[in-house]
Order: sequence, then C-alpha cells, then structure tokens
Amino acid sequence: MRRPGLWLGLAAVCAWSLAPFLWQLLTSVKPAAELEALPPFLPGAITLVHYEAIFAGHPFARLLLNSFIVSALATLLALGFGSLAGFALAKLRPPGRAATLAAVVALSMLPPVATVSPLFLLASAAGLRDTLVGLVLVYAGFALPLAVWLMAQFFRGVPDALYIAARVDGCSAAGAFVKVMLPLAVPGLTATGLLVFVFCWNEFLYALTLTSSMAARTVPVGIALFPGLHEVPWGEIAAGSVIATLPPVALAIVFQRRVLAGLTAGALKG
Amino acid sequence: MRPGAARLEPWVLMSPALALLAAVTALPMLYVVWLSLQQRALFRAAQFTGFDHYFRLAGDGRFWNALGNTLYFALVSVAMELALGLAIALLLARAGRARALIYGAVLVPWAIPTVVSARMWEWMYQPELGVLSFLAGRPVNWLGDAALALHAAIAMDVWKSTPFVALLLLAGLQAIPRELVHAAALDGAGAWTTFRRVTLPLLAPVILVAAVFRSIDALRVFDAIYVLTGGGPANATETLSIYAYRVLFQMLDFGYGSALAVVVLAITGMAALAYARLLRGGIE
Amino acid sequence: MIGVSLDARSPSVRLAAPAARRRGALRALAALSIAALAAACGRQEPRRPDALVFRHPKLFGDPEPLDRLVGQFERAHGVAVRREALPAASDEQHLFYAINLAAETTEFDVLALDTIWAAEFAQAGWLRDLSAHVSAADERDLFAAPLASVTWRARRYALPWFVDAGLLYYRADLLAAEGLAPPRTWTDLAQAVRRVRVSQPALHGFVWQGKQYEGLVCNALEFIWSHGGDLDAGAPAAVRGLAFMRALVTDGLSPPYVTTLTEEPARVLFGRARALFLRNWPYAWSLLQRAGSEVEGRVGVCPLPHAPGHPAAAALGGWHLGVNAFSRHAAVAEKLAAFLCAAPAQKALALAYGYSAPRRSLYADPELAAAQPFLASLATLLEAARPRPVSPHYVALSQVLQSEFSAVLSGRRAPAGALGAIARARRVLEAV
Repeated sequence: MRRPGLWLGLAAVCAWSLAPFLWQLLTSVKPAAELEALPPFLPGAITLVHYEAIFAGHPFARLLLNSFIVSALATLLALGFGSLAGFALAKLRPPGRAATLAAVVALSMLPPVATVSPLFLLASAAGLRDTLVGLVLVYAGFALPLAVWLMAQFFRGVPDALYIAARVDGCSAAGAFVKVMLPLAVPGLTATGLLVFVFCWNEFLYALTLTSSMAARTVPVGIALFPGLHEVPWGEIAAGSVIATLPPVALAIVFQRRVLAGLTAGALKG
Repeated sequence: MRPGAARLEPWVLMSPALALLAAVTALPMLYVVWLSLQQRALFRAAQFTGFDHYFRLAGDGRFWNALGNTLYFALVSVAMELALGLAIALLLARAGRARALIYGAVLVPWAIPTVVSARMWEWMYQPELGVLSFLAGRPVNWLGDAALALHAAIAMDVWKSTPFVALLLLAGLQAIPRELVHAAALDGAGAWTTFRRVTLPLLAPVILVAAVFRSIDALRVFDAIYVLTGGGPANATETLSIYAYRVLFQMLDFGYGSALAVVVLAITGMAALAYARLLRGGIE
Repeated sequence: MIGVSLDARSPSVRLAAPAARRRGALRALAALSIAALAAACGRQEPRRPDALVFRHPKLFGDPEPLDRLVGQFERAHGVAVRREALPAASDEQHLFYAINLAAETTEFDVLALDTIWAAEFAQAGWLRDLSAHVSAADERDLFAAPLASVTWRARRYALPWFVDAGLLYYRADLLAAEGLAPPRTWTDLAQAVRRVRVSQPALHGFVWQGKQYEGLVCNALEFIWSHGGDLDAGAPAAVRGLAFMRALVTDGLSPPYVTTLTEEPARVLFGRARALFLRNWPYAWSLLQRAGSEVEGRVGVCPLPHAPGHPAAAALGGWHLGVNAFSRHAAVAEKLAAFLCAAPAQKALALAYGYSAPRRSLYADPELAAAQPFLASLATLLEAARPRPVSPHYVALSQVLQSEFSAVLSGRRAPAGALGAIARARRVLEAV
C-alpha cells in the first residue's frame, strides 16, 4: 500500500479545510498595525483588542444571545412537529404518504429569495417583523421539511413490532409515540436537531430582511453588516467570525457521528 | 376505536407540521406568484398587470446576465465539488483509524456560516493585504477583475461545500460490498479498472443525488456573493437571487422583484422535482 | 428508485450509541432549550419605551464628544436617547432604511440620511416635514447644495448635519523632490505619476474608489463633470470623462484592482506610502497625519484636478438628520435633530471629529480655525461641491449608474454605450 502518498493526501485535505479558518484566527489576534501589511505572516504579538472591541463597541453579545435563542427555539419546534409528522408517515402509513413526503422534500429546496418578499409583507402585517418569535416561526418552517424527512427515516428504522406491541397494550397512537417511539428515536432526534440548529445559526437572508434592531438581529447579519464609516475593521470582523463559527463547529465536531448520520441519511436513505 | 378515527389519526399528528409549512412556505409561495402579476412599487399605484413583468424580463439585459452567471456558477462549482469530493472520499475510505480526526477537519468548512466564510475569503482575496496574493507572489485582482471575480466566488463555494459531497460519497463507497471489489481484484483487474468498472457504476446513484442536491443550493446562491462582491464588478458576479433581492429591497419594486424571484423558484423547482423523483421510490 | 441501500457499515445507520451517551446528549439538548426559553422570557422587557432611538453611521474615533452632546439634550428634555450604528456602506444603509420604513417601523426616531436619499424618503412619506426648524437665518447660513438636497417640493424634510466633498491627497515630499507643484489638471497628474515613477517604479499612481457601489458614482461623476460633461447633456464631454476613467487603468496610472477599492482600502494603500495620489473625503486627513502614520507630515491636499479648460468639480457627500414619520416621539425627535444640526453642536462635532459643518458662519469662527486649520481651509471647496441628481428615484438610478460605470471601468462597455443606457433608464424612471 502506498501509505506515504495516502498520508500526504489526507494531510492536504486537512490543511485545505482548516487553512482559511486558521488564517482568520491569526488575523483576529494580530495588532491592528500588522493588519495593514503582509508579511509578517505570523503576528508579532498576540492581542485580544479586537475581541474586546466587538463586545464593547458593538453589542456582539446581544447578537449571540439572539442567535442562540432563535436557533434553539426553532430547533425545538421543528423537532417536535417534525417527529410527530415523521412518526405518522413512517408508522401509521396513511394513504398518500409518498406524495406528502415528496411535497415535503420539494419544499426543503425552496430558494429563500422566492418567499422573502411575501414573508416580509406578511410578517409586517402580523406585527412579527423584527421579533424573535417571527424569526423562530420562519426558521422552524424552513427547517421542518428536513426534520420531517429525517425523522421519517429514523422511525422507519425502529421495528414495527415494538410499535404494535405498545398498541396492543392499550396505548393510543400518540401514547405509543411518546412512551415507546420517542425514546428509541433519541439518536435520530439528536442528529436532526444538530442539523437544524446549524442551519438556523447560519441563516442570513431572512434575518437580514426580517430584523432591524438589536431586538432580533442575529450573528450572520451582524458580521455581514459590520458597522463602520468608510473603514473596514478587518481585525474586528475576524474576531466576530471566529466567535460566530465556534458554536456550529464545536457541535459538529463533538457530535461528529450524529452529524454525519444526519447528513447522509438526509440525502441518501431511500 | 372507530375506524374513521384511526384513519384520521396520522393526519392529526401531522397537522402541526403541515399548518406551519403552509403558513411559512406554501402560502408565501403562492403569494409571490400573485405579487409578480402586479405593479407593486414605491410611488406607483398598485394594480394588476398580468404577465407584463415576465415580458419585461425578456428585454432585460441585466436579467439575462444574472441568469448566465447563476447557471455558470452552479455548473462549474458542482462539477468541481463532485470531482474533488470523490477524490477526498476515496482518500478517506482508506484512512482507517485516523478517519475520526479527519472528519473533524472536513466538517469545519461545512459548519462555518456562509456569511463568515465569505468574510474570511474576502480578507484572503485582498489584492495587496491578502494571503492569496502573497502566496501568488504578486497582487492579484481576485474580486475586482470581471473575468476573475465569479471564479473567486466559485472557489469559495467549492471550499465550503466539497466536504458535504465527500461525506455523502464516502457513505456511498462504504455501502459497496467489499466482495465485489475483491472479486474484481482476483480476476486480475488493476486498481483503475476496478474503480471504473465496479466502484464508479455502483456509486453513480449517489453521485447523482449529490449533484442534484448541490445544484439546487448553487442555483439559489445568495449569502456568499452578497457578502463577497455584492454582485460587482460590472455585474460580473450578480446572480439571480442577488438581482431579485436588489430589485425587491433596494428599489422596493415588489412586483418586478417577485417576478425575478419566481424565475429562481422555477429553476430550483425543476431541480427539486428531479430530486424528489429520484428519492420517491425509496419512500415506499 | 436509486440503487442505494446503506448497510450496517455506513455511518447513517450506525446509530446505536451507548445508552449513557445517548442520555447525555438528550440532557444537553433539554438544557439548551430550557436556557433558550428562559432567556427569551427573561428579556421580554424590550427597551424603555420612552427612549428616543437615533440611527447614524459609526463615528471615527472616540464616541465621548457625541455622547456628551446627546447627554446635554437628555438632561434638557428629560428623555433617554439611544444611539445605534448603521452598517458600513451607503447601499446597505439604504437597504436597511428602505426595508424598515416601508414596514412603517417605529424602531428608530431620528435617522441620519445620506445626502442622496432625502427626496426619495420624502416622496415616500417616510420623513416628517422639518421646515419649521429651518429659519430664514439658517437658510442664509447653510451651504446651498446640502440645503437643496433636503428640499422636496419646497419643503425641508431633513436638516443638513455635515458635508463632504471629494479631495485630492498627494505625497508632498515626492512631488517636491521632482520640483512639481500639486496638479491642477488631469494631465498634470498623469505627468507627475510618470515623473515620480522613474525613480520609484513600484509606486501606484492614483488610487480612488472604483468598486461597484455608491462611491464609484461619486468618482465617475467627478471625472465626467471635470471634463465639462454631465448626465443631462448627452455630450461628448461625458464620453471623454468616462474614457479618461477607463484610461487610468489601461495606462497604468491606477492599479487594476482600483475596481475593488472603497474609501478605506484606498486610504490604507496611500497611507502605507504605496501611492502618489488619493481621491478621498476630508475624513482621511487626520488619519493620514496621525502620529505613527507612514506618511505623517508628507501629505498635501488640493482640489480635484480637471481637464484643461473646464472647472474642477467635487461630488457632494455628507449626512442629513431626518425624523421618522412613524415615530411615536415625533415632537421631541424633531427637537433632537434640530439640536444636533444647530451651530453649537456642529461646532463641537467639528472640533472633536473634524467633521465639516454645512454653515458658512462656522468657517469664520476663530476657535475652529485655530483648532482645525485644515477644515477651515476647505470652506470654499465644500461650498462648491456638486450634488448628485436630486430625485426621488435616485437610488434606482444609482443602481444603473453603478453597474454602467463599473462596466466601463472593467472595459466591458464603451463610454457612449453606457451613457446611452443611463439616459434610457432615466427616461423610464422619470416617466413614472
């Protein structure tokens, strides 16, 4: 086996995947003066001023909190509704389920720009623009197709016998779902939840359009619309980027196997 | 339990999901089509104009430019992601115990918010201060050259999305029975022949799924380009989503902007239908 | 049906995790959601409903002087004022306002407006009529161009806050070494670049703002105006102006990546002693001259050059303050806008930030002249700055201007073709 070649290739894959992020990390700890020239490649001194600046001069903590609240609640909602629907489709097998699932899958491909103008008008009319509730509903709705699809796949993996046994014991369908099926679906719920959370954390177009103030503005919008008059504060943008990146990357690495399972099941299983 | 109730049960359980989907995706989808048939712009009286906006598209050079950019972006980035993704998947398949570590690295681009990755690349693409010009040994006008800028955006998308393709293909690779590969090797086939005659045909369906999946994403690209170039220079990187968004919210022309949005919807819709057809057999 | 069915080795079905770990994940998820819920409920007190919100672009430097001004107002009127920063670029700021004002937001009360938006916002009904806050004395004191740009149908919908005009910065040391005077015409500028480059071949000639955005419109209009052209006159002069802009790149007087430059990257290039000339707004002066700058004490500034036989022309920039028509605190919001745009506040801001006030009287103020001699020297230039077209359709027009000018600069369109497209777009817009 050509081991050296393989290792070289794998090292190259890692380097290519990590290099841009590492460069951003370096940028975020470089003193401002060093950002205006290259080389030096490595920072002459490590500084945290850019991190201090985004929390002091720019209410970044609030953006993080908003992103966290919106992503967590939307994930919860999508998981709740999605697992109910996924269970019904996989185990109760209603007629028309194939068409329903196909429609759900098609909805997951919706380009955000196609519905942003109606949602803008509807949210304004309903008084939900620039509120966290409005964003939660929109995100949950947009993550729902993925959640339904994934949960249907995971429930199909649970043996029918368990479900039937619960029904024979006198559980209603809902009871069987809560007492028997849901506990078995925890790995699926985790995988789905992770994907939905990352999706919500990263969303930009709706957040840009449906929020205006710090009451609901999220991290990606904050990073894209960094305030400044003429200036481009590269150091602060880098610091903000690093912080915005940490939650999804940490989740993806810690729950690596769940994420992989979700990603591949979402696209492949059939 | 009454049989009628049993028949209703699944729909009751599905109703919250279906209600939310209707409110947030299906209803707005119909509404955008309705908007596209009307004059709804700043300073102009709202009125029904039928298909006027669609006729106007035909003569709008900026629309055709955006359409061309969108298709080019999707075609080139998806082709490169498939090629690179397949190479990485083949490498990962042989990684053995180091795989978990490498998964961690490969998941990073996938997990990074698109807006953030656009900011990272924008910084690396700076002509004089950027690390890429430094590596190239001379200032390169990555984002400011009309011939180069779209390719710069494609490079960023390839970086961000290849991991997803690679992981998908890896799952497909691992599903190929080892015996088949071994049998081919026993028959005296070389590595290349085995790959071409055994692995690739068995992997083809997964490749197709990855291609459709990525195409849909690439056809609706917005965040990456909005942050990286904003559509310039000379509209060389303006995609349909960007143009539609500018008409909608910069010029506040909800009628014509909605017509542009419907075009994006139609194009991705075709890809989505193809995808749904691919998967549909699997639902039964 | 696709022929994939994943066997036990594939990651997608390798889901059976040790029970303990599964419970751990579940617990983490539950904790996460509870925390989110708690946070969502905990912060249901939004802001104090009586606080005024003032939206403006981020200031250069210490926020303290503006805070002190706003503090004075808060004490005098017994209200709280919250300041919120706008995004960096003009186009994004407009996007922000358009989205929110179209939705009749009450989220902000006093808003800073780029000089080009007042007509549009006024016609859309988004701004309160502030004519009562512009006295006859103000009308005599204020510069004509900013006053015209806040005027729509003979009413004033905003108050001029400060003004900007395009300037030419040059490396005084390098020109002096060659025995050259600051350039008065574009030909002088080209010759100076060629002369200095003999000894410094790596130096860039002239850097300016060529990215496809609002700044390019200002730069391109300056090229057109200084060749005697205008958007209104479909004349050869405008073609010459745009051809000159393109030639700056093809002749190597400007680097090719001038097509990505906005104000700050251009200022940084010049500030790192990488260019001989820079077109920028007055704000760059104090940054280029601050201690530690590579070009400290070696920078000069003069009016933008012009083609021989034509007057120089600088584009008018700057900010107005307006009041949101949907504001719940309109009366006191109007007072805040008027307070910040009155001479004393403008003088304080000029002293603290070097912002140029739009009032003739302030340039005669001895204290200001002593503290900010640079600013005082700009009075005539600022007063002569030319506005971009005043029209409620300006932003839609600007979309066309940006893409056509960018296409000329990239060599994708001939100047005459671009001007023709602009004229057609204007006719369509104005016909509405």
